[in-house]
Amino acid sequence: MAEKLVLFEHRHLPGVETAAVYETVGGYEGLRRALQMTPAGVIEEIKVSGLQGRGGAGFPTWIKWNGMLGNPPGDRYVVCNADEGEPGTFKDRELMLRFPHMIVEGMAIAGHATGSATGYIYIRGEFTEPADAIRRAVDEAYERGYLGEGIRTDGSRFDIHVHLGAGSYECGEETALMSSLMGERGQPRAKPPHAPLPVVAGLWRRPTLINNVETYACAPHILRRGGAWYASMGTERAKGTKIFSVSGHVARPGNYEIELGTPLLELLDMAGGVTGGALKAIIPGGSSVPILPAAKCTDVRLDYDGCRAAGTMLGSGGCMVFNETTDIVKLMWVTARFYAHESCGKCTPCREGTRWMAKIMDRIVQGKGRPEDPDLLVSVCNNIDGRSYCPLGDAAAWPIRASVLQYRDEYEHWVRHKTSPVGEHSVPKVA
Amino acid sequence: MTHDRTDPAYARRFSPDAVRELEELVARYPQRKAAMLPALWIAQREYGGEITAEAMEEVAHRLGVPPVEVEGVASFYTMYNLKKRGRKHIEVCACLTCAVLDSASVIHALEQRLGIKAGETTADGEYSLSEAECLNWCEAGTVVQVGHRYYGNVTAEDVDRLLDDIAGDPRNDVVTHADTVVRVQLRGGCKGRPRPSAEVEADRG
Repeated sequence: MAEKLVLFEHRHLPGVETAAVYETVGGYEGLRRALQMTPAGVIEEIKVSGLQGRGGAGFPTWIKWNGMLGNPPGDRYVVCNADEGEPGTFKDRELMLRFPHMIVEGMAIAGHATGSATGYIYIRGEFTEPADAIRRAVDEAYERGYLGEGIRTDGSRFDIHVHLGAGSYECGEETALMSSLMGERGQPRAKPPHAPLPVVAGLWRRPTLINNVETYACAPHILRRGGAWYASMGTERAKGTKIFSVSGHVARPGNYEIELGTPLLELLDMAGGVTGGALKAIIPGGSSVPILPAAKCTDVRLDYDGCRAAGTMLGSGGCMVFNETTDIVKLMWVTARFYAHESCGKCTPCREGTRWMAKIMDRIVQGKGRPEDPDLLVSVCNNIDGRSYCPLGDAAAWPIRASVLQYRDEYEHWVRHKTSPVGEHSVPKVA
Repeated sequence: MTHDRTDPAYARRFSPDAVRELEELVARYPQRKAAMLPALWIAQREYGGEITAEAMEEVAHRLGVPPVEVEGVASFYTMYNLKKRGRKHIEVCACLTCAVLDSASVIHALEQRLGIKAGETTADGEYSLSEAECLNWCEAGTVVQVGHRYYGNVTAEDVDRLLDDIAGDPRNDVVTHADTVVRVQLRGGCKGRPRPSAEVEADRG
């Protein structure tokens, strides 16, 4: 199997980031078609396509969009989550740089489908270059009438504002992103059943649709070529294509667009295979998902069910590959430090638990580990899991717990011998 | 709670242009407070790369929110400099992929060249060095960010060239990064947005 290019079909076309070139390859046809349809008609097309959220959760996109329609009249918002921060993921970055118009078009389609006049694209503060590409696309889209009132004939309009963050992983979580966009600390809010969904009460307590960059980028293709066409790709329960960011010990790291259901090892082949030694493990969906030892990688198919069956998750598609020189304990030490740094501090189990995890991992890799530490780590993970407002706590607990369960021998070697089981040249290095 | 924005008691470091920029950004949201992050970016530029207590107070007055709320927000985000950093802030990604591709050696090489440890600033105030969490360009690990420019596939051997490159280039300055964020937000945006509905307007303050 090879790549299946939908979003990336014209990846190498010079100038595809400009409106003029984007239009020559079908750009904005999806929006034109959508504007001739009723909102319900557009959402039906998304429903037929089977598109699921590409940010990590895999929630059916049409249900979110449809949820916007039942609201009483008044302001409502379309938000694009471009706060790409999941370690191992760099697909939204490339989409923004190469296909900014695809994202603008997808948001405009969502604006029409949900009766929203205002869109915000929330981009992480480090990403000034991708943000500048989006900014230029937004300007061009106004000039050509795709934004504002422009080509719309019913008196409606759709505006997009570019909004940059300022350094916070947590703001990629949708309720935290909304807090941040409203000028607050990026902390999450209660969710159903304790509070209404964002599509009922989001930004300024108004109906708000939030999707990932890649999800919006799919919409123009679905509207242009039909939901049934999109659903013809992928598997029975996971339709279409998905971009995977492959990095680590591989010959050709980069973004690869594949049909959902493609075997994990084929993706690895596309990226040129493992370098620097035999395959040891793969984290298939960003740092938040459990690690897969090489032996378990053989039968895994990259779709939501396939990853779940293997004990991991598809996540954001941040596929990190590690060769045999990798020390799993040190790798998880880096992971634990990340979550301890990024926990927003709102919920006690996550705020305290991630720091405890980092502390325990710190002493293990400094050769001061205690025999009870592996079990203690699992116990801390169990007490974070499911006990915070947002999934950051879970995302910190799952990979660490999975690593202790899968690589207990490496943890015990560290605790007993105070050195790496992989040897002194193992990676990552402890600074 | 509303503050008197004409109160002469607070610092006024925002230039007339900066005030115009802020008001243009404020108009994009149904509440003034929503312009908090952009306002702090403007403040970081206007106050020379650092968000001082005075800067937070100025933002508070201009947005009509209590200063403590501005402080709460400013201290939450890592890119707002609540203490003075070097003119050029070198951030080396030390997250998963970069870590296994030996970001530690890049950090060590920079520490040696600059004579400081990660987390410190050189005595002349020129450079700060930090380890960063994922900068999300993992295909090019080790990734280094200086100002708003990204450098990919950096190894310990590249450190001299990296320092040469950033030395004379204003794009690598902390202040330029803040300015770039503001400009991107200002230029990319709608023309003639209709005023927010009266109902949301009533929620203000």
